[in-house]
Amino acid sequence: MSTFDVEPGNRWPGASFEEKSVWIQLASLVLALGGYFYVAGSMLGAGERALSPFAPLFVTAVVLMVVINIVGHVASAIASRPELRDERDRLIGWRAESASSWLLAIGIFAAISAMLCDFDNVWTAHVLLLALFFAELLRCVLQLLFYRRGV
Amino acid sequence: MAGPRPPKVVVHNRIRALRFAADEMTQAELAREVGVSRQTINAIEGGKYAPSLEVAFRMARVFDVPLGHVFQCEIDGEPHRL
Repeated sequence: MSTFDVEPGNRWPGASFEEKSVWIQLASLVLALGGYFYVAGSMLGAGERALSPFAPLFVTAVVLMVVINIVGHVASAIASRPELRDERDRLIGWRAESASSWLLAIGIFAAISAMLCDFDNVWTAHVLLLALFFAELLRCVLQLLFYRRGV
Repeated sequence: MAGPRPPKVVVHNRIRALRFAADEMTQAELAREVGVSRQTINAIEGGKYAPSLEVAFRMARVFDVPLGHVFQCEIDGEPHRL
């Protein structure tokens, strides 16, 4: 028996459940929020300045994100038995979070500036959402990088 | 003004050899005993992750050896006795 044998039935032996979870989060972010920004961008480009027409689109994106996360995590748990989060997962999570939080801070600062400069609410809301999107995207990418390259 | 340069510490380990000696214990089995994921054992073995003292001591206990038999370190290129 090889000393590198893994759990029987684990079809994705190189990644822990936590790492697979980050991949699922990244996919849900790109598909759901990426799709939202694609459509919202064309609406903004067409001159839409009210916030309410964006609400159904936003709700759809959030529901899609939740569905992708649930389906992805259930599939991942079926493919291999999930392990508990250990100290390495926590350290990687903390490092990625602290290295990506500045993006969210910049977005909040930009949104406050937009409010002070009397920009339309639609711009303020989208600057905030865009900052959240990019901060989460960066967090996921950094986490995956730390999992592969080490911490 | 910057202070003196901290010494460079490189940590090595003998986990793979110890697993072989322990009846060819798999990474998954060691992970279960220590309470971390198999990927974490793989990362420690490959020098990609330095575990906490708690996990290091748990490993030493699994192999029933002193901590210095599991982990060794070099400080500024000189072997350091744990």
